[in-house]
Amino acid sequence: MRLRELACLFAALVCAPAIATAQTSSMYSNLANPSIGMNALFTGQAARSLNQAYGLGFDEAEISLISVVDPYWTFTSNIVFVGDGSVDPEEVWVRSTNIPGIQLKLGKIRGTFGKHGLLHTHAFPFIQGPIVMANTIGDEGFKDPGVEAAWLTPLPWFSELTGGVYQAIEADDEHPLDFGSTRHDNIPFLGHFKNQFDLNDATTLELGQSLLQGRGTDGFVHAAYGADVTVRNVPARNSNRRGWILQGEYLQKGSTVDGTHIREADGGYASLQYRMSQVWWMGVRGEQARDSFTDFLVDDTGAPIAGKVNRVSANIAWTPSEFSFVRLEYSHAQADAGNGIRPNDDRVMIQLSYTIGYHPAHAY
Amino acid sequence: MKFPLKCMLPLMTLGLLAAVPALADLKVATSLTDLASVAQFVGGKHVTSQSLCRGYEDPHFVPAKPSLMKAIQHADVFVSTGLELDTGWLPLVLPGSRNPRIQAGTKGFVDASQGIDVLEKPVGTVSRAEGDIHPLGNPHYYADPKNLVIVAHHLARVFSQLDPVNAADYEANARAFDERMETSLAKWEKQMAPYKGASVVTYHRNFDYFAERFGLKLFGTVEPKPGIPPSPRHITELAAAMKQAGVKVVVYQPYYSADASNEVAKRAGGTAVEIATEVGGVPGATDVFTKFDVLVSSVAGALAGK
Repeated sequence: MRLRELACLFAALVCAPAIATAQTSSMYSNLANPSIGMNALFTGQAARSLNQAYGLGFDEAEISLISVVDPYWTFTSNIVFVGDGSVDPEEVWVRSTNIPGIQLKLGKIRGTFGKHGLLHTHAFPFIQGPIVMANTIGDEGFKDPGVEAAWLTPLPWFSELTGGVYQAIEADDEHPLDFGSTRHDNIPFLGHFKNQFDLNDATTLELGQSLLQGRGTDGFVHAAYGADVTVRNVPARNSNRRGWILQGEYLQKGSTVDGTHIREADGGYASLQYRMSQVWWMGVRGEQARDSFTDFLVDDTGAPIAGKVNRVSANIAWTPSEFSFVRLEYSHAQADAGNGIRPNDDRVMIQLSYTIGYHPAHAY
Repeated sequence: MKFPLKCMLPLMTLGLLAAVPALADLKVATSLTDLASVAQFVGGKHVTSQSLCRGYEDPHFVPAKPSLMKAIQHADVFVSTGLELDTGWLPLVLPGSRNPRIQAGTKGFVDASQGIDVLEKPVGTVSRAEGDIHPLGNPHYYADPKNLVIVAHHLARVFSQLDPVNAADYEANARAFDERMETSLAKWEKQMAPYKGASVVTYHRNFDYFAERFGLKLFGTVEPKPGIPPSPRHITELAAAMKQAGVKVVVYQPYYSADASNEVAKRAGGTAVEIATEVGGVPGATDVFTKFDVLVSSVAGALAGK
């Protein structure tokens, strides 16, 4: 009996370090780790008007990290590894969770301007963004450090009023708007008003108006204006197999010099996306951009020139699951006669998207 | 330009009046119609409940419309199905409501799956190679009447905590719900007794809890993997296997493809039946009790060859 007790004691002493190790190996807990996801996007393009080889290229890989910070904030970040080798902290922001009626976002945010400007690249309805986007607020929208407050008004329908202020940044490839004045009163600001109505069980109407304004390096006021309308149908019994989205948006960029408004670039698009089945989508889009730059519009020295461009696009997408798609797109564009060495552009594109891990649902 | 204040004031006043919440002790919103129905039975006159997903709508794919955010702006309680059934849309709708009372982690947020004996919890590695699987287990537990009793008692505890004045009513209502469900279950089990051991094919794996409760066997699914639409080859192989095994019944919810289900049944020489596993899915299924009345009758009728 005594021998058995001694054996037990010996076994306990020998095993104790192992048990202790097992317990302390989680000293650095991973239970509160963020939800992690990654999307990779590849695009192939064949366009005779461009001086580049045909073939499939790597566009970007986006890593998203999302988590709750504490009872008051959630944290979202999208870090984009771009095909040219650069890394872009596209979005890094926190959002309040406990302010009644108001959602506060601060950090490097995607400014709530318009409709298309709120989309991530892999969520674009067409492979190419509308030409007017890159010429007014940015190809992927307005993405600058700032603070936004979105108030859900007490009106009986969804009516949201958003106001924001941002860091003053001068114009560059990513920023078509010049907000670069170093004056201390130069605080670029945004206003957005969105109303959404349920027309019936399946169809909604959304109306949006946007304004973005600041002072440029030239000392003048620069601004962008936008208006959008979206009618969307998602049949309740076929929410995963049928539906359509009819959308139109107009954007304008301008400046005010000595009290006179100068329209610098403007344009808009109208598009229809139609869901044919659980795995097939198709879309058509018509657009016009005035005083705008686009990749095929260059002079005989190869320098970009601005002009009026009309473009039509059509695509078809195969989405075998929620986490991947392949889509094929054709577009025909025509610029002002006399502008550029190749005023017409025809191109065929293919795009492949793959997502792993957690990916938050896209906004309606 | 002068702002047309005279024109806007009456409009704004009307809007504000319309936005005044209804007078009830607790305003409850839920992911699913079944949860709204249970909440109404438990809450009685002290509660108004509404579901964001309609009974004939696929609970996996509810469009996160801004109007849903508006609908829960003043809710006191939000009851989620849990087990990630609503993960495709709730993470947008809840924060969008700007209602701090019902955010995850608060007293007003309820995960209704707590206390449920969850079926089909994945063992080993979870991979999307198996389709759009639910990593926490099968979330369609509301197809078993017994599980709704667990939900009822859970909600009674939550309501009592948030509205202690009416706690006795909530507890009494939950007990009454429990007793009525026991009586009803005995009736449904009697109806289903002749078909114990019978095999059925379902479109998606959201019939498992019902099958487990009433002793049915699940032969296969019309979709080859969760969330993946059936290929012609899968339909052919499934129908052939059904024919060989003598399985005659295919059941599908209103939000799944009737064409694919009918094609499988036709090739197998059987019948496809539209069923509601959610309240409001088909006419007559107005609450959780009538839902099971209709569901049991439909399944028993199909298995009887009627």
